[in-house]
Amino acid sequence: MSVLALEGVRRTLVSGAARFMLEVPSLVLGAGQGLALIGPSGAGKSTTLDLAALALAPDRAERLVVAGVDAAALWARGAHDALAALRARAIGYVLQTGGLLPFLTVADNIALPQRLARRRDRRRIVDLAERLGIAAELGKWPAALSVGQRQRAAIARALAHRPAVVIADEPTSALHPELASGVFTMLVAACAEDGAALLVATHDADEARRAGLELRRVVPIPGEARSIVEAEPLPCPA
Amino acid sequence: MPGVRLAARLALADAAAEARLALATLSGIAAVLAPLIVLFGLKAGVIDSLREALVQNPRAREIVNQTNRTFDAAFFARLAARPDVAFIVPRTRSLAASGAFARSADSLSAFRGELLATAAGDPLLAGRPPPVGRAAALSATLAERLGVGEGATIRLRVDRIVEGRRETLALDLAVAAVLPREVFARDAAFVPLPLLLLIEDFQEGTIALPVAEIDAPPDPARLYAGFRLHARRLEDVVVLDRVLRAEGIEVVSQAEEVAGLLALDRSLGLLFVALAALGGAGYSVSLGVTMQASVERKRRALALLRLMGMPARGLLAFPLTQAVALASAAAVFAGAIALGVAAVINRLGVAVGEGPIARITPEHLAIAAVLTVLGAVLASLFAAARAAAIEPAEGLRDA
Repeated sequence: MSVLALEGVRRTLVSGAARFMLEVPSLVLGAGQGLALIGPSGAGKSTTLDLAALALAPDRAERLVVAGVDAAALWARGAHDALAALRARAIGYVLQTGGLLPFLTVADNIALPQRLARRRDRRRIVDLAERLGIAAELGKWPAALSVGQRQRAAIARALAHRPAVVIADEPTSALHPELASGVFTMLVAACAEDGAALLVATHDADEARRAGLELRRVVPIPGEARSIVEAEPLPCPA
Repeated sequence: MPGVRLAARLALADAAAEARLALATLSGIAAVLAPLIVLFGLKAGVIDSLREALVQNPRAREIVNQTNRTFDAAFFARLAARPDVAFIVPRTRSLAASGAFARSADSLSAFRGELLATAAGDPLLAGRPPPVGRAAALSATLAERLGVGEGATIRLRVDRIVEGRRETLALDLAVAAVLPREVFARDAAFVPLPLLLLIEDFQEGTIALPVAEIDAPPDPARLYAGFRLHARRLEDVVVLDRVLRAEGIEVVSQAEEVAGLLALDRSLGLLFVALAALGGAGYSVSLGVTMQASVERKRRALALLRLMGMPARGLLAFPLTQAVALASAAAVFAGAIALGVAAVINRLGVAVGEGPIARITPEHLAIAAVLTVLGAVLASLFAAARAAAIEPAEGLRDA
């Protein structure tokens, strides 16, 4: 059963005189499945993530379903708070630099999606923190953490409310390469362990492949201001 | 509204984390508010002191006619019926209105004093029961000269010359009350109207000695030389003074002082409103800009909250909560400063009449706090609207 499905989704972005169109013919993820979007900068990885994250309205969507809810219909109705509630319940986010709120402790940051989803679970916070090796940092302010610890706290926060889908935008690009692969592996393992589907945008195809993710290319069409997210996974090199 | 509650908690946590900035903003509000409270306290103190000095003295509300005229019962009934008239009583001709008072029937020393009519409800009695029958309420100075107090019996003598012969009407009067000193400064006895009329009739020679034991009620057809009137409120003095003069009656009142005070009150009130409006508007704009700058600075965090599923009303609540919290804290802070400054001012010993010159009441503080919080909410509405409009997609980007 799919927990994230984008089919026949299209969005045009206008920036001044420039127009850019992204098409997603078919992107479907089941529970516990991991998928990495790869492609050059500006190809449309972020736009694809925005659409999947319910952060950007599609111009057209044959099917846009998150955790069993018809999000296309919510966008069509302009039901922004219903979309917010769906995001709160069903999606976890990992940003490039963590995106922890500086005025909350690490524990409160991790608890935030639980509060928004109204799914408080103190034990899960401790459990996640232990799995990610930041149990000792729970009472600290984000500013007191190393970059790697912050990113691990962000992973804990993304999973705290048991979302069906985790969306990560270049989650390790701000980290030292040595640190990066460890954090990436941790993110993939944590999602797999919790049965959350993982959709990640990355510029590092090798790392994604090493972590065992299926790769999907976002391809700019030459001569057209248009990109397509390929419907088939990139085959493993022999 | 869980989204709003959570947003409010986050907003407070944010303000606490940026305590220095919050303190600066708070001090800014208090810096405008505290002087305004002090200013208002000064206005209230000055005006109230002057007003109380006038109000506490019932003579401030007194209006009497200047030259002897003839007023009939209808005139008194008409004026007594006016809602702005608290009390009116006839006066006899000024020449007749005096007598010699002695401590007792066989006392050798006597003092001259005015004789004035009084009745129930006379403000000059200051709540004391009116004298009834052969009784009088004495002014403080006359009571002092005679060395008598309430309950004593004094002797009143009034003379007349009939066919070259001196005749004296001697009456024993019970002292029903002694008036407070500030109410009447001269030597005077306030007596019931029938008794005053008896004395007037005796002096004019219309009745013979010995007089009856019990004074008859006044003849309804009788005409009086004057009146003593008390306005209900201080403001009414000005109106009544004008009305009576318009009827061609020369009157003496404190209308000018009262009008002056009222004008001062209005002018100070206007000045205060102007200052408060300017200060308040200036600060509201400044606070609004501060809150908006704060929203812009926190755009990333707010967008992230939106992305994570915070409802729009939660984002709206974020700057509003901070504004309300800062304004409330500032109001408390400003109130404390203002009370301190007022205490210092009151110690300087500059006095205008009775009471402290700077008078800050709990009501003033409550009103100041409510207005400040309302102003803060209004000022941050624009910032709140901006916050609520932040797109969730912004939260996913790091740029």
